[in-house]
Amino acid sequence: MNPLLAQFLAEAADLLTSVDEGLLQLERDPGDPELVNEVFRAAHTFKGSSGLFDFPELTRLTHAAEDLLDAVRGGKLDLDSGMTDDLLAAFDLIRGWLAHVTQHERLPASAGADAAILITKLRGPLGGDATTPVVEKAPIVHVIAPPPEWLSHFEQEWLDATATWLTTTSSTLRFARYLPDEGCFFRAEDPLHLISQVPALARIAVVPPDEWPSPDDYDEYACLIGFVLATRAGHGELDHLFRYVPDQVEVVELDGDALRRFLNGEVAPEPVEAADAPVVDDPQDPAVVEDAYAILAAAQTSLRDQQEVGGVRLASIAHSIASAAAALGDISELSDLNAEQLTETVNRLLGSTPAPPAAPPPPALIERSAPEERIDRGRADDPGGQVGTKILKVDQEKVDHLMELVGELNVAKNGLTFLADSAEEEFGSRVLSRRIKDQYSGLHRIAEELQAAVMDVRMLPLSVAFSRFPRLVRDLSRRLGKNIELVMEGEDTMADKDVIEALADPLVHLVRNSLDHGIELPDERTAAGKPPQARITLSAVADGDAVVVEIADDGRGIDPVKVKRKAYEKGLISEEELESMGDQEAVELVFRAGFSTADQVSDLSGRGVGMDAVRASVEKLGGTVTMKSELGTGSVTRLRLPLSMAVTQVMVVSVAGQRFGIPVDLVVETVRVPGGEIGRVLHQDVVVLRGEVVPVIDLAAALRMPWTPDENDDRRILIVSLHGQRVGLLVEQFHREVDVILKPMEGLLAYADEFSGTALLGDGLVLLVLNMKEVLGLAARAA
Amino acid sequence: MPLELHEATATLTDVVTVDEVEPLAAWLRATEKPKVNLRRCNHLHTGALQALLLFRPKISSAPANAFLAEQVLPLLAGGNGTASRQGSEPP
Amino acid sequence: MTTVMLVDDSATMLMSLKSILTKAGYSVETAGHGKEALEKLAKGVKPNLIISDVNMPQMDGITFVREARKAPGMRFTPMLMLTTESEQTKRNEAKSAGATGWLVKPVAPDQLLGVIKQVVPGA
Repeated sequence: MNPLLAQFLAEAADLLTSVDEGLLQLERDPGDPELVNEVFRAAHTFKGSSGLFDFPELTRLTHAAEDLLDAVRGGKLDLDSGMTDDLLAAFDLIRGWLAHVTQHERLPASAGADAAILITKLRGPLGGDATTPVVEKAPIVHVIAPPPEWLSHFEQEWLDATATWLTTTSSTLRFARYLPDEGCFFRAEDPLHLISQVPALARIAVVPPDEWPSPDDYDEYACLIGFVLATRAGHGELDHLFRYVPDQVEVVELDGDALRRFLNGEVAPEPVEAADAPVVDDPQDPAVVEDAYAILAAAQTSLRDQQEVGGVRLASIAHSIASAAAALGDISELSDLNAEQLTETVNRLLGSTPAPPAAPPPPALIERSAPEERIDRGRADDPGGQVGTKILKVDQEKVDHLMELVGELNVAKNGLTFLADSAEEEFGSRVLSRRIKDQYSGLHRIAEELQAAVMDVRMLPLSVAFSRFPRLVRDLSRRLGKNIELVMEGEDTMADKDVIEALADPLVHLVRNSLDHGIELPDERTAAGKPPQARITLSAVADGDAVVVEIADDGRGIDPVKVKRKAYEKGLISEEELESMGDQEAVELVFRAGFSTADQVSDLSGRGVGMDAVRASVEKLGGTVTMKSELGTGSVTRLRLPLSMAVTQVMVVSVAGQRFGIPVDLVVETVRVPGGEIGRVLHQDVVVLRGEVVPVIDLAAALRMPWTPDENDDRRILIVSLHGQRVGLLVEQFHREVDVILKPMEGLLAYADEFSGTALLGDGLVLLVLNMKEVLGLAARAA
Repeated sequence: MPLELHEATATLTDVVTVDEVEPLAAWLRATEKPKVNLRRCNHLHTGALQALLLFRPKISSAPANAFLAEQVLPLLAGGNGTASRQGSEPP
Repeated sequence: MTTVMLVDDSATMLMSLKSILTKAGYSVETAGHGKEALEKLAKGVKPNLIISDVNMPQMDGITFVREARKAPGMRFTPMLMLTTESEQTKRNEAKSAGATGWLVKPVAPDQLLGVIKQVVPGA
């Protein structure tokens, strides 16, 4: 994929999330201007970037959303839940499109039709299809005009020759006056540089200040001069070049006659000056109406005062009137250039136009009167710039790669201990061995710090995992007709990104469960003496090297008696257990495989995925899940997960000559017992440790590896604890504990459930790390 | 260096930006009979042009750059363009 | 070498403009928002041109331009705003804050390179 598109998709994901969050918050707190601004900005950025690609539907749809948000931002509209729904739907549609784009690099075929529906909806509150493409109107009005007085800045001789030339050739020239404001250097404007770019430039001259200052008072940073120029460049070229300073530029088109008249002492009367004011296509704008009014009034005067008007003069007046009429929204046909008709049109327009409160000052005069402001802007040399926190956005893959390198460093470091051993054993040098070990401990410390630093980079706030819930709860509660408030706490708690990612699915399942089964309908709640609005609390808190996430609701809770009966009916518990089982234990039965059944599966809680799946995925992360519930008051599910799962400490053991790793947190102790002390109870090998009978499993047998322990040797047994139960593993040998980076199983071994992953050891060997739960299951089946 | 200031002569080279305006103006203010060499000048910032218009130094060497030579140099030669000077060809 | 500083909260926009400018031989500095850009300016980065978005979190483009004008050596540096078709009032605001001009998004390579030639003498 083209990297720009990839970047856009990554950014889009972030923007969509913030739009969603913002909209939901806005619905609750509609007045918050900061929030509106934030959502608007996200939509705006989205639209801006979408324009870089050929996704016209995307741009149009975001444009419609942006316009609606802009109206809300400007206070023209109040956001209601209908609009919120439409906006959410629009961004949902976009999310779907982007998924398609990720796959196929183009929008789905249905995009146009889908977008059209939503665009209509979004534009509804704005007053229908207001696809007002704000066309940038040519800001400079051009007229074939009577000569302005500023032509006097050109040398007379040159004007004279030019007038003759234009008459002879029946051609025209564009003349412009450019009066920069005094402070223009402080906007990095360089008028002469701009003029040097005027194409087909015939002549320039300086408009000097009325009075040059004395050298001592001279401020070299105040722009005192202006320019006049003559060019054969087209109006379009001039408009483009002077587009940043339209109000400082006046352009007229003159023919030889006009120049000649100027040279004979005829100077332009007022109306034409006024016609040079910017004309914008918006009759609502009072300033424009005012300008138009002034132009028309002036035209009326000149039509009345001068009986004999003709040719260019009349054309220029007609042009002024047409511009003014257009500004007032009246497209007048002024094809016939006769004075009576023009007068009539002017009278008609003036009759329908409200008189302005005051005549506007000529635009050219305003520009030169702001010296204080300029000083303010210019001479402040204090170093501005505030320092904020600097956040670096790093590609996840890079961090993963860094983590891998740390892992390899650990491995290389561990290699030193092997070297130290062989220095002593093979080469008989204890001194060298000691020195290598010293080196090792130095390196070990650095590697540990490095590892901690990288792990820190991988930490993300829980808010990443929580962010989808406001939307989920809102949508589902509407569908279910339940009234639910979602409270989130401790979103700032940090955990490793892998943990956060893996947490997503179990959390969704648990929250859906609460919504679907836990929370009652408002009537039911009122009847039970509860407030009609229910509450789901999602909270996170760090606890040592673990993070505890709780999903609590104040719903109906779980009835332990019902659960027990159901478990009994399903054959999950014995009759005896049905009688003796305590309430807490009963509640936890929901985690048993096979407890969730088809009649419980609703559209909401996901099909066929029960609480057992939640427990399995949490345990896979090395975490635990527990549930507490009180009938009538609600349930709390508590997930406890390691803060980080990148580095696992494993105990290395070998069996049948092959090494395996076992997560250290499962290991209780290692014992050696004489072969004769292994007993046998109910076909199961056992060992008695401090009075407790512990079952012993032959790891080699469980993994189907041929191995018979030497009769005379002590038996080496690794005691592990799983779900509170102690089990002994018969192994061939114990090795050291090592820190490894666990990698998921790949290829053929991906389906080997008895292994949870692989890790590279210091001597280059690949270590298989055992999934103890599965291994015990295998052993049970083998027995 | 776009601006080389000597005792009586300033040499303006290549692009004279707004950064050169202040030292140029200061030099013009302080120099009794200033001479300015524009031969290798390719662009004059408006502020520099304005300073030259105010202090009216002698242009010791005309610019090679076409725009400066054809359009700007005439501005520096006369009295702010108001005085009648040698006419140029009509366009 | 002419250095252009790009300020935009959209990484996509930064990437797109940067590739156009780099290909045309300009050196490019980027910042994700106004504060970061001011920080760079305070540290002595001296671009010959600044192109900034208008709508940005933390500090909008117009405030940024106003502040950037006060940064050392930035009094006379051309600054352009990235605007959309509909942001005409922003353009005037930006100009009174000290911006030289504006660009309309999406920015075509020719438009971008043309405007640089227009506002940066000798670029």
